[in-house]
Amino acid sequence: MAVLETVAPDRRARRPAPAPDRRARVNRHLLRLPFHLLSLTMVAPFYWLVITVFKTPTELARTPPSFVPRSPTFDNFHDPDWSPRQINPGHLQGIFQRFQVDFGFWRFLFNSLFITTAITVGSLLICSLAAYVIAKHDIKGRRVIFLMIIASMMVPWQTTLIPNYVIMRNLGWLDSYTAYIVPALAKAFVLFFLVQFLQSLPNELIQAARVDGAGEWRIWWTIVLPLLRPALAAMSIFIVLAEWNNFLWPLIIVQSDEMANLPVALARLNSYFAGPDHQGAIMAGGLLASMPTIAFFLVFQKYFTRGIALSGLKG
Amino acid sequence: MANTADMATPAASPLRSALRRYGTSYLMLLPFLALFAGFLLWPLANSLFLSFTRFDGINPAEFTGLDNFRRLAGDARFRHALGNTALYVVASVGLGTLLSLGLALAFNGTSRPHRIMRTLFFLPSVTSSIALMLMWKWVLFPSDVGLANTVVGWFGGHAVAWLATPGLTVPILVLMSVWGGMGYGMVLYVAGLGSIPEEYYEAARIDGASTWQQFRRITLPLLRPVTTYVVVTGLIGAFQVFEAVYIVFRGTNNVGGVLDSGLMIVPYLYDQGFTHFRLGYASAIAWVLFVIIFVLSLVNLRLGRAMKEL
Repeated sequence: MAVLETVAPDRRARRPAPAPDRRARVNRHLLRLPFHLLSLTMVAPFYWLVITVFKTPTELARTPPSFVPRSPTFDNFHDPDWSPRQINPGHLQGIFQRFQVDFGFWRFLFNSLFITTAITVGSLLICSLAAYVIAKHDIKGRRVIFLMIIASMMVPWQTTLIPNYVIMRNLGWLDSYTAYIVPALAKAFVLFFLVQFLQSLPNELIQAARVDGAGEWRIWWTIVLPLLRPALAAMSIFIVLAEWNNFLWPLIIVQSDEMANLPVALARLNSYFAGPDHQGAIMAGGLLASMPTIAFFLVFQKYFTRGIALSGLKG
Repeated sequence: MANTADMATPAASPLRSALRRYGTSYLMLLPFLALFAGFLLWPLANSLFLSFTRFDGINPAEFTGLDNFRRLAGDARFRHALGNTALYVVASVGLGTLLSLGLALAFNGTSRPHRIMRTLFFLPSVTSSIALMLMWKWVLFPSDVGLANTVVGWFGGHAVAWLATPGLTVPILVLMSVWGGMGYGMVLYVAGLGSIPEEYYEAARIDGASTWQQFRRITLPLLRPVTTYVVVTGLIGAFQVFEAVYIVFRGTNNVGGVLDSGLMIVPYLYDQGFTHFRLGYASAIAWVLFVIIFVLSLVNLRLGRAMKEL
């Protein structure tokens, strides 16, 4: 918990600000200037992405490109004037008309949302259960188990890619939610982080509950999980971002269009359509794929920076 | 039921009393351990075994001893992939760490402009990574409709075939990685800066230390744990680069881009394993990656411990 407080950036502001002389202040602003310029390179590609979404295919193919859409349109999401039966010049499929699956692009949004949620909730439950035992139960072999788990954090997961693919195939799990979710549940870094967090908490509450006759499962659910809340919040941010962006594993286990997550669907879009006039729909897909995580970030902004700092300072 | 049985025989066997005492604990560990063993430990051992075999995924694996590793040593494409990866890793982590630190120093205040700047630089970390790759591919479009070539045109240059020029591949991959990752490092550095007591600077100022001296003698040394973390996690992440190569540079029949100019370790693993179905050979590549990352992690542990003892 002490770590949490040290990372609060407003700590320095509360102290009386030193009064640097004029020259130092001018210097400081001069030193900052290159980074202000650097921020333009952040804005420019994002701006380019967003205006692309609202341009018509005709405008996208024109040189020089415009920097404000001439006639802003939502056709890149859904173009009512496009028909699969007859070519209509200047009209292409919007992103929601591009895939021959039920519910179109919504299907991938749902897949990503469902898989990410299932993995986040599932792994936090499973890992917190194991972390509680390792941190607070005096059982044989817990040091060996913990050491093994720490050692496994040094293994790049790609090393297990091929055997896991063979396992999925032999179990008949290819192209299913199971193949996305089940192998992703036991996360060593989550367990490690939760154990560390639990070890820094006192035992009194747990002891008191035991004296009152509460079972271990109840203690885990009613005492340990609430105590772990800040750690769980930090970990869920890492899990959500990693799973939302997961690409290589889905690329290997997904065969049908129906089971693709957003990254795989976007990658397929990318390999089917290359022309500038298609970029509007592709960027619309990218924007839709980014909205949920950006919204998640804007809502939980404080937890993000704290969570990242927490992992960095403890690691 | 079990309780009454135990009470009937007070001198229960040690096994049974241990079970009663620890049974729940092991039961609670079971889900994690079962998944951990099934999808990490066993596959890890299995991939080591496969690296000594010829295996196409259909016929049974055929043991070939060190053959795969011998072939890897003489495989020009693999050596090319290793060289490319090394170049990419050093450049992207070096540049990324420097810029992260610079950004943290420039925008570590609590004022609104600083917070907006931090959010802006952090934005790529919470944007769909594939969407960012597609964005770059569109920015770097080869004709004049692309953003990069439009900017080049303003300065009187001709359209550049960004993604089809072998010499530009690794620099572009480095720039994409630095662009997307420096905000994340910045957040870590800002946290590190916040934990340095202001008193140190006050004392230094009273002693007449210049801004540069304060940075050199206080800020930098006290940020060393953060730097170690940023560098090592950066190295580990960079060695595993895949999406950027696959999405932005992959050709119709070549995963590494024009003339393999963007071929890296994981894309080559994917190419061997899942395009050519040489699963044994790909497993050998996976174990080379494993050794690299494992050594880096050990260095990280060592460094961490050494720091604490200092």
